[in-house]
Amino acid sequence: MPFRELNEVQLDALKEISNIGMGHAATALSQMIGQTVSLRVPHVTISDVSRVPDYLGGAERLMVGITLQILGDARGNIMLLFPQESAHHLLGSLLGSRSKALVMNEMAVSALKEVGNILASAYLSALGNLLNITLIPSVPLLAYDMAGAMVDYVLIELSQAGDLALMIETVFSGSSTQSITIKGHFFLLPDPATLDIFLRMIGVQHE
Amino acid sequence: MNDRVCISQVLIDRAPAILKAYGLGSCIAVAIRDPMSKVGGLGHMLLPLRPGNNALGSEGKYVDAGISQMIDQLVLFGANRQGLVAKIAGGANMFETTDQTLINSIGARNAKSARKTLERLGIPLVGEEIGGNRGRTVEFDLATGVLLVYCAHENEPISL
Repeated sequence: MPFRELNEVQLDALKEISNIGMGHAATALSQMIGQTVSLRVPHVTISDVSRVPDYLGGAERLMVGITLQILGDARGNIMLLFPQESAHHLLGSLLGSRSKALVMNEMAVSALKEVGNILASAYLSALGNLLNITLIPSVPLLAYDMAGAMVDYVLIELSQAGDLALMIETVFSGSSTQSITIKGHFFLLPDPATLDIFLRMIGVQHE
Repeated sequence: MNDRVCISQVLIDRAPAILKAYGLGSCIAVAIRDPMSKVGGLGHMLLPLRPGNNALGSEGKYVDAGISQMIDQLVLFGANRQGLVAKIAGGANMFETTDQTLINSIGARNAKSARKTLERLGIPLVGEEIGGNRGRTVEFDLATGVLLVYCAHENEPISL
C-alpha cells in the first residue's frame, strides 16, 4: 500500500504497536543501566526520503548510529541514534568509564552494539507476539558519524520502492539522580510490503 | 548565496553561488562546471542505476539518469557542453560488515556508475574523494570550481 494512503486509524494503530514494542525495550534498557527509562508518544512521519535526515536532527550532526535489519516474516530496518553526549553517558553507566569525551574504542563499540541488540530484540519480540509473526533482528552495525550519512544506508532499500519513507520514531530518555540524561531515538522503517503485513495483522487494513 | 542540495536533487546555478550537500554516506555528490561561463551544478544521488522499466521517482535519485539530466540543464543554463569538467565525492560504506551484500557495496557501485556515466558522456573527471567509511559534506564554489570536502571527525576540509 502506498504510504500516503494511510488513514487516521491505521496511523494510530502503528503508534500503538510501536508503543508496546518500545515499552518492552525500555524495560530492558532500564535493567541494563539501572535508571528509569521514560518514553515519549511515538511519532509517525511519512516524508520524502530526501527530508529524512532533517527529522533525525540534521544531516551533519555527529551521532552514534546502530542499525539492524528486520528478518523473518516481515522486512524493514531499525535505526537507533544516540547524540554524542548520550552515548558518552550511556557508556559511563554501562562500563563505568570516566573519560571526559566520547571514546569509541572496541569495548565501547561492542557495548553500544549490545544495547542496540537488546533494544531491537525486545521491541521485535513484543511486536511479533502481538502480531503473531516471527521477527528477528540481524547482527547490529554501528557507526559514529554524520546522521545524514548513516541514514543513507536505510534509505537505499526504501528508495527502490518509491520516494516516500514511513518512520515510526520513539524518543526515550533515562533519568537518574545525577541529573544526567540519556536520550535516544528509535526508528522503525518498515518496507512497504511489511506495512501491509502489520496493518493486516492488526485488522485495520481497508478493503 | 548558499544553496543546499538534498537527496535526489540537482541544483544548477552560476557564480558566485556556493552549492552544498550535507551528510553524504553511500550517496554520491557529482559536481560539474564550465570554467568559462562559471555555470555549474551539484547533484546528490542515492542509487547507481535507473531501472529501465517502471522507474520510480525523480531522475536525480539515480547517478546515471541524474548526470544526464544535469548536463542538459547546464547547457540550457548557458554552459558550454565541451568545456564541462566533473568532480565526485561520497560513496562510502558507513557500516562495516563481513558479508558483502548488495547494500553494503552500494557506495562503490554509485562511484563506479558516476565514472562510467561521465566517461560515456565525454566529461573529464578531474577530482574525486570516494569510498572509505566516513560521512562527508561538500561545498562547490562556482566562482573557483573548488569542491571542498568536509569529513566527520576532521577539522580541515579536503580541497578538490
